[in-house]
Amino acid sequence: MSDFNCSIVEHNKIQIIKLKGYLDAHTAPMLEENFTELISKNKFNIVVNFKDLNYISSAGLGVFMAYIEKIRENKGDIKLTEMNEKVYNIFDLLGFPLLYEIFDKDEQAISKFLGNKSE
Amino acid sequence: MSELDSLKIKRDLTALVEFSKIINSSLDLDFILNNILLTCLGKFLATRGIIALKEEERLIVKLSKGIPQNIISEFPKDKINENFFDEKLADFYSLAKIKVCERITSSSDTLGILCMGDKLNGSEYTEDDRDFLKTILNIAATAIQNSIIVKELKELNRVLDSKIQRLNSLFELSKEFALFSDTKRIQRLLILSLMGQFLVSKYAILSLNESDIQILDTKYNPEELLKKIRSIDYLKIDSTLKPETIQQKYPELDELGISIIVPMKIQNKLKGLILLGKRINNTDFSDSDIEFIYSVGSLAIISLENRRLLLEEIEKQKLEEEIELAKQIQQNLLPSEIPKSEVFEIAAINLPSKQVGGDYFDVIRTEKNKLITSIADVSGKGIPASLLMANLQAFIKLIIQQEFELDKATEIINDLLTQNTGDGRFITFFWGILDEKEKSYNYVNAGHNPPILLRNGEIVRLSEGGIILGVMKTIIPYNKKKIYLQSGDMLVLFTDGVSEAMNTNSEEFGEDRLEDLCKKISTLSSQSALEFIKKEVESFTLGAPQSDDLTIMVIKVS
Repeated sequence: MSDFNCSIVEHNKIQIIKLKGYLDAHTAPMLEENFTELISKNKFNIVVNFKDLNYISSAGLGVFMAYIEKIRENKGDIKLTEMNEKVYNIFDLLGFPLLYEIFDKDEQAISKFLGNKSE
Repeated sequence: MSELDSLKIKRDLTALVEFSKIINSSLDLDFILNNILLTCLGKFLATRGIIALKEEERLIVKLSKGIPQNIISEFPKDKINENFFDEKLADFYSLAKIKVCERITSSSDTLGILCMGDKLNGSEYTEDDRDFLKTILNIAATAIQNSIIVKELKELNRVLDSKIQRLNSLFELSKEFALFSDTKRIQRLLILSLMGQFLVSKYAILSLNESDIQILDTKYNPEELLKKIRSIDYLKIDSTLKPETIQQKYPELDELGISIIVPMKIQNKLKGLILLGKRINNTDFSDSDIEFIYSVGSLAIISLENRRLLLEEIEKQKLEEEIELAKQIQQNLLPSEIPKSEVFEIAAINLPSKQVGGDYFDVIRTEKNKLITSIADVSGKGIPASLLMANLQAFIKLIIQQEFELDKATEIINDLLTQNTGDGRFITFFWGILDEKEKSYNYVNAGHNPPILLRNGEIVRLSEGGIILGVMKTIIPYNKKKIYLQSGDMLVLFTDGVSEAMNTNSEEFGEDRLEDLCKKISTLSSQSALEFIKKEVESFTLGAPQSDDLTIMVIKVS
């Protein structure tokens, strides 16, 4: 069985989801639950940290596609951070960098959110 | 050679060595080309320059400096042939004010060209200049070729990576689907995988049941989609439809923004359709993309189908168990023990068919020491019939406590049952009160097969009564009839399961045969008579399935 878990912390009203392990067809529904819960609570500013994520498959990537429209309609965004090379490579192969902002550090993503707000 | 000349050569050589070092230190094509062009512009004090490289038999401008974009866009895009360099390029040269042009060649092939415009000081390019340019390009050729090879390798690697990624996804999904995940989960994973793989946000997954089409999940407006899909001949979609085909054949779907339709098949039979909207990065679906969608779709539809079959099987088993339970309950409604009597010897049997049926009999001793015997057949079979039968039994038990006359009681039961039926169901019903003191039988027959009274080898049928129960409220009152019984009389009550029992030639047992049989067994005890009738019916129908409930009651007067 593949190992996966994710935890959420709030920072300046921005939700930081930390992913760990393998995000694949088996574990993707777990991440979905987190997104649906955040959306139901009207929390649309989300940073996803990939530091401890070892693998992502199409189904895992699909989770990001499934909720991005709803989140952006509500003036929020999903920003991605700290991807290792292997994971970034998959994102890149499928063309995700066109659609998502990817940062080296959480702080950069957070300040992007905060900066946007003060505009 | 003058000192000036040798100094110049020395300076040129140093520059060449420096240049060679720099461009060979990198594999980045842009960096290399930029360096080449800058070096040449610097060397000749020129303000315009251009580098074009060969790609698929054409020259493509890779870098230019000092030449306006609108002129660059005039660069000939024809395939390279014999006169390309001399004729086709000549026009462009004059347009772009190009003065010299040299080919960049590897040991075997032309890699491209480098062209330079006027020198800033207005002087012409000398033979030496051209030689120097050639030398630079010779050095550059190796670096360019290396970087092109590396670039190609990187692209190849990317293609491989992409293939591996797809295989991984397919492998993983097949594993997940095989776990018998529930239907919703299979659908969701199918959708997530397609969204993730192709950057689509609009989709629809449709499933085909026989010829009807249903939406399993969609991001389109479901009513609108279903209406449009139903308006086309969707059963004929047996291969992938690309955007051009959809635009031509199904403009209504194109309007919705559907850009590809991939069928899901099992053993070449259409079982569903995957509809995807445009990709967010605006690229088309390639053949290998379509192959991936088809593979994932096949995996999913097989799992969904398996799942459906499994659920169907479970449902069937559950239903069978429920019917078995209903049968048990129904059997429990029938008397487990028939009340003993000094005067009347009663035996009865009920053989239910495979389904829950609607036959009913009862023998109840009243407080006034009389015996109420009843037999009934509810039309139809299955749960509805058995419910109505339970209903009838409850009414009977209730009404005999009220001590109505039998005809009035029948009327009340009929009126109550009429309220509870409604789908054309009815009950044939016969009941009678055995009075031990008077040795009488007071009965009402509501449309039931008339019971047989056998006395001294003669048969009388008990048919007095009225219409069947449950069809309409009582208008014409039921008639009751009292008969006085004699010692040795035999009464046989039965349902049409006996008279209409069929053999393998589709012949009915028939009431005549039953009457004849009764005459033969008139001297037997009620239990033996019952067994005899049962055996006769069984041997008559040998090999044919019992299609209806079968109920017999025999009453002997001692």
